[in-house]
Amino acid sequence: MRRAPVIVLDNGASTIKVGVTTSSKDVRIVPNAIVRSKGDKTAYFGHEFDACKDFSSLHFRLPFERGYLVDWDAQKAIWDGIFSDQVLNIDTAETSLLITEPYFNLPNIQEVYDQFVFEEYEFQSYFCSTPAALIPHGRLFSAPGLPNPECMIVVDAGFSFTHIVPIMGGVVIWSAVKRIDVGGKLLTNHLKELISFRQWNMMEETYIVNEVKEKCCYVSTQFSADLETCRADKSRNTIVQEYVLPDFSRNRHGYIRQPDALPVDGEQILYMGNERFSIPEVLFCPDRIGLHQAGLGEAIVQSINLLPEDLHGMFWANIGLIGGGTMFPGFVARLMAELRPRAPADCEIKIYESNNATTEAYHSAMALATTSALTNLAVTRAEYLEGGSGYCRRKFGTDYERAGNEERARTPPASVPAKARSRTVSAMKRR
Amino acid sequence: MPRRQPIRRAQESQPLDAETIAKRTKRHLDELERSNYAEPSGSYHGMDEDDQAGKSAKGRARQTVSDKRQLSGPSAKRKKANMNIRTAILYRKNFATLIEESGLTNISSSIPTYLTAAAAPPKEPTRPLCTVCGYWGNYKCKKCAMPFCGLDCRSVHDETRCERRVI
Ligand SMILES: [Zn+2]
Ligand SMILES: [Zn+2]
Repeated sequence: MRRAPVIVLDNGASTIKVGVTTSSKDVRIVPNAIVRSKGDKTAYFGHEFDACKDFSSLHFRLPFERGYLVDWDAQKAIWDGIFSDQVLNIDTAETSLLITEPYFNLPNIQEVYDQFVFEEYEFQSYFCSTPAALIPHGRLFSAPGLPNPECMIVVDAGFSFTHIVPIMGGVVIWSAVKRIDVGGKLLTNHLKELISFRQWNMMEETYIVNEVKEKCCYVSTQFSADLETCRADKSRNTIVQEYVLPDFSRNRHGYIRQPDALPVDGEQILYMGNERFSIPEVLFCPDRIGLHQAGLGEAIVQSINLLPEDLHGMFWANIGLIGGGTMFPGFVARLMAELRPRAPADCEIKIYESNNATTEAYHSAMALATTSALTNLAVTRAEYLEGGSGYCRRKFGTDYERAGNEERARTPPASVPAKARSRTVSAMKRR
Repeated sequence: MPRRQPIRRAQESQPLDAETIAKRTKRHLDELERSNYAEPSGSYHGMDEDDQAGKSAKGRARQTVSDKRQLSGPSAKRKKANMNIRTAILYRKNFATLIEESGLTNISSSIPTYLTAAAAPPKEPTRPLCTVCGYWGNYKCKKCAMPFCGLDCRSVHDETRCERRVI
């Protein structure tokens, strides 16, 4: 039997990474937003944002809130555009789907995923996974001549939050997963506040400030010394950058001015001093903004301490980074500096980086989608029509089995038809 | 000089209590979650004019965007959306409501869920930064407890943001 093409859709809260197994085209990155540009007098749905010209005071409508899918109207509008002839040009009813969902997705939200996949788009089959759980299928940890390690920790620093996800034999150990409520959205908003208080009012300029963040910010490995450098007078301050703010009426984006370049009339300059490193610093010290959660280094230790003790060494030796938040320059060096003193002295620590942390989960998903293994993981439309959402949860639930073992022993398997059961509660058993 | 003292002391003797500061911090963290500055977090009335119209129409008629798109391609709609889909599209619930309706609060805390997964607080408190300039904040405003680094930043603080929530 011929296998249907698979759409791989890494459905991030900030961007969607999407492609089809039968296409040779590279991954397509689509903003997961409906963006209204005052200047262009247009609302752009997802992929249409490529046509945006005026990026000032953009208004964002995001399907995700706090990392979870809540606005299905917006999400459907964006997905419809992706499946249409403007992007994938594909008949969903002739296709299978591999889609990502957030860590600890709520059962009542998962149910709506199932409904959209089978009742609205009528996919032939689908498999839903968290991004980190796909990583064992990819090449993030690949070493020449060696299989992927059996124990690994995936750090996923996303738009809404950051997760530390231990995986053993391809299975996520949910009882040891830790979350820090710091993501790219919070960092951009925090930078917006600092800039607006200290220099220019840019509270409405999320898009522009996000660009500043991506171009100027780095993770410091010597925070104290860098703070002092930024206090020094201009000639000795080797950190401060002059960011020339964009001028969309002249179709010019913002950029970092070279130190020896002469000023141009009418330019607006944003000085990026200690903001360059104190913004990403929040992920390492969330306490500083009043968020009483451990920073990334300590949270990784919290996670490892919940894992079987004899395997700790294997986890320390296999830490992989995914998600745009891990792409700040200096990230790996700083994480290593955080971890080394917290790990047993005789223990090897290794951090694996991706060439593109944003698309790492997509590429891992694509690797899975091109093998026959996906067929065994996926739920078919017929199975859904027969067994409902409960069936999907049980089948996808294999990932949670370890964590849910004791609970499962106490709860007899549900025999009531899915429709009649309180799905909310039954879906929880897997954990 | 002697005249000013009593006023000062009166101000300083009423620092914000811990609860107020905690509330302020919470409000600030919520603000850092906003998608757009000019609206409360969680608001979805993004497509302003249309949505305003939708709300005013007896509060019942709801405007959607997904059914107004003119798209073509092999997946273009063959039939009307069923009840489940229409419900999901028409009735957006915010995250707090979804958590409430998920039943997660009623299950054993030994089962890992969104509610149990947050990293525990750090062992050591973090050294604060000046809320004005970003340098070390070794002093705290007596009124509102925000850190500052020295006299210059204290006076900026006093004039611009004392007791306000910004960190
Ligand atoms: Zn200061
Ligand atoms: Zn104050």
